[in-house]
Amino acid sequence: MSAYLDTRVSLFSGRLWHDTALAALIGVPDDAMSDAMKRRGFPHLAAGSADEAGREDTRSLEQRIVAQILDETRVLIRPLSGEARSFLTFWTARFEMSNVKTLLRSKLTDERPAVVLARLTPMGAFGQLDHPDLAHAEDLGELLRRLEAGPFAGIVRHARRAFEQTRDPFNLDAALDHGYYEGLIQRARPLEDTVGNPFRTLMANLIDRINLVWLLRYRFNYKLPPAQVYYLLVGSHYGLPSSRLQELAALDSFEAVLAALPAALQSQLAGATDIPGVFGRMESAAAEQARRVLRSRGPAIARAFAYLILRERDLRGVRAVLRGRHLGLPAADIRQALQRGSAEAM
Amino acid sequence: MLRAEPLVRVQLLMLASEAQDAALALARFGVFNPAPCTVDALAESPAAAYREAWLEAESRLSKLLEQCGDIGPLNLPADAEAPALADLQELNAWLKEVWISCLECHENEARIAEARSHLDALEDTLTRLERLNVDLAHLLRADSLLAVDIGSLPAAGLRRVTEALAMTGHLVSRFDQVGEQVFAVIAGPRARRDEVRGVLAQAGWRELPVPDELRTHPQAARTWLEAERTRLASQSGAACRVMDGLRDRFGPRLHEARLRLALARPLAEAALAGVRGKGGLAALSGWVPKRRLDGLRATLDERFHGRTWLDVREPSPREVAEVPSLVRYPGWLAPFVPLVKSYGIPRYGEFDPALPFAFTYLLLFGAMFGDIGHGAVILLLSAALARRLGRMAWVGVAAGAVSMLFGLFYGSIFGYETLIEPLWLSPLHDPIRVLTLAVGFGVGFITFTLLANAWNRGVAGRAAEALFDSGGLAGLAFYLGAVGVLASLAGAADVAQPAAMLAGLGIVVVAAFKWFEARAGLGERILVTLIETLETAINLFSNTLSFMRVAAFSLNHVALALAVFTLANGLDATGHWLTITLGNVVIIVLEGGIVAIQALRLMYYEGFSRFFSGDGREFVPLRLVSQQARV
Repeated sequence: MSAYLDTRVSLFSGRLWHDTALAALIGVPDDAMSDAMKRRGFPHLAAGSADEAGREDTRSLEQRIVAQILDETRVLIRPLSGEARSFLTFWTARFEMSNVKTLLRSKLTDERPAVVLARLTPMGAFGQLDHPDLAHAEDLGELLRRLEAGPFAGIVRHARRAFEQTRDPFNLDAALDHGYYEGLIQRARPLEDTVGNPFRTLMANLIDRINLVWLLRYRFNYKLPPAQVYYLLVGSHYGLPSSRLQELAALDSFEAVLAALPAALQSQLAGATDIPGVFGRMESAAAEQARRVLRSRGPAIARAFAYLILRERDLRGVRAVLRGRHLGLPAADIRQALQRGSAEAM
Repeated sequence: MLRAEPLVRVQLLMLASEAQDAALALARFGVFNPAPCTVDALAESPAAAYREAWLEAESRLSKLLEQCGDIGPLNLPADAEAPALADLQELNAWLKEVWISCLECHENEARIAEARSHLDALEDTLTRLERLNVDLAHLLRADSLLAVDIGSLPAAGLRRVTEALAMTGHLVSRFDQVGEQVFAVIAGPRARRDEVRGVLAQAGWRELPVPDELRTHPQAARTWLEAERTRLASQSGAACRVMDGLRDRFGPRLHEARLRLALARPLAEAALAGVRGKGGLAALSGWVPKRRLDGLRATLDERFHGRTWLDVREPSPREVAEVPSLVRYPGWLAPFVPLVKSYGIPRYGEFDPALPFAFTYLLLFGAMFGDIGHGAVILLLSAALARRLGRMAWVGVAAGAVSMLFGLFYGSIFGYETLIEPLWLSPLHDPIRVLTLAVGFGVGFITFTLLANAWNRGVAGRAAEALFDSGGLAGLAFYLGAVGVLASLAGAADVAQPAAMLAGLGIVVVAAFKWFEARAGLGERILVTLIETLETAINLFSNTLSFMRVAAFSLNHVALALAVFTLANGLDATGHWLTITLGNVVIIVLEGGIVAIQALRLMYYEGFSRFFSGDGREFVPLRLVSQQARV
């Protein structure tokens, strides 16, 4: 099992892009774009690509990217069972959570079911929700009740209670994100015990980044009180444990928060002046760490997770390039977007 | 029966305003499989809005029917017309109105249920607070410096809330838990009350309203609680009356809505494949059996009196993979078809394996599980459970009958090998012959699969693969030649020299084909050719040896029976017959199940995987809800 997964990951890792290759994509002529994509295992990403039967692919760029990630995850989890399979399966549930948010927003704005259905990300073999049924719910109340009868009942029930108090869509989104990452940590814990440090480091980079970016955003962009900011963060046992997060949430300025970080994080974030800068630096450091895990002879599940993290980063970069080209943005702007990373994913 | 019916591609042009009736006529016709329209000039999707309205209306109707219960069978009149888009939208709007009324009743019920559980919690709180000997009036005073709240929140969030509130000088004290809800008192400085509001909302905190009566006179509080309960009960009754009223008021109209949505279904379903159009014209494309073309023309003429244009053509070689497979099976063969389709659908034009599958599967099952008694039990059980098993019962009946037939050949009844003389051979006494026969059957079976594969490749226009590949005629020549050599070495035949030449010729052709097919550098090409040619030889012979399991299982059947008899013979009369009975039950259930799976495995992996791509498309005709396609 482990040998199969190791081999798969090693084969897949040949598809990853170096930052320079990604930057070079900005200047590739339009007619060579499709070939460039195919070489990296992204046959469906070039706009207007057709399937084997010659039919036009009508999915949006985001949908194609997610389909690509899901396809590769499906191959990687094939030999897995138990906790490792459960973890990687839940890792893909981020996209389903994003569908849940889209559905909820569509009910708040009274959108037509056909329109929202076209925007949902098809989850293929990982699909756990009946999208047409949910999209045809009459209002938010009915939708929430239907979701509460499904696989994300725990997360959605909490979100509904939070929303009912204030009718504030922010509370819905925040509760869903919070519930998802709590679930991810819960599923990662047994693996951290059995797989050890390489896997734990990947999770630590992910959760610390999410917590710090959320903390900065909630505290200084949304001006929420410290207690609420702390409550919205994910309970963590990594580099930024709960006690440290409490202290950070109580601070009054962006600079004070950065200054109060552990030394390792401080050096990582040296020079960051805004939240996207913090995200970009932490993401680059996490990507470097993931590359080390991928190159190592570490446990197969850790290497698979590292690959998926890097692949998703690549795909976000490719999306930035394709979207930038499509909008006719200057190459310098696209390059800058690549360097800063994309905070949208969070 | 062995091949899919010849189909033709039709494109029906009509007035867009009559598209719903055309789709209805095609659904009634029963053998029209919609397909995407490929005419570039028709760029619009005139049925998209129709499908959208239908989906919304169908979803609302099914939810309403779930509430009101089924309202009887649906009989579609033969001359009924499908609703136009405007009618469908109007129907959808009405269904929305009715469903929202229902939804309000639902919301009411949910609110009442929640209020009831809160009252229960409040009563519990009362009981506990009475025991605490706390002066609630003092504790809950609005002008106190200390702000105190009593309420509930999800148990999973308690720790986080406690930590967050500690940052604002608040204390959280839990005093009860009901299911996943924790009941707690929160106390803190009133001046910092605003800071905790966000946390509490985010945490899903539900405040327990503590009425003034509760604060001073517990008895008055209990009276108040009783009054609240009575009020909620009367509200709940009112909600039920609303629901019953809906049922009485709208029942007949809901039935009519069901009927109209059933009539609208064909165009809505066809729109999924892609109804195209331009201006006032619409085009429906799809596949129909060639032999039903005249019938289709007659149906359209009768309904539209020449207001449609039917364009017909044969499928082009490029689109063969897109053509659905429509195979007509006789009733006795139909129960075996799901077993074939669980592997895959034959491509259009491919050899359909259902018939040889049925015969070979039964033959293998009977050969591995030959016993008159056990076969009779399977046969009788399948017949007895026919209502529950549906058409699959026939597979059990046939397997039981074949098992009985082989039992007669082997002279075996409930494991007794000496009660009757075998008509053919006894596996226990002649195992080598059984093994030889099993391998001989394997040779015949693999020869058949290679021929079928060559045929399929030829039909698909891949003549080179049909002739020269390892799964084609060259592979077959090698296989038969090698079998001839082995048979000569074993003394069963005397064809060693010509057989060796045939095998040599076959393998050289296969190797040459692999060489020309490989697109790689010289070294890799040599490696690929060598390995793939070697793999051809190994696979063919390992697959043949796989059939030895047929003999092994027929021997296993006898061995299991012997084990049962050995155990039984050591016991007294009661124990003896009890062991014999239970032993036979175990043999039927355990070995019968294993043999059924093994026979299926042989069919799938040694048979289908060799010639059957299984990636065809099933013929799915447009249908009306209450009408089966006349295939």
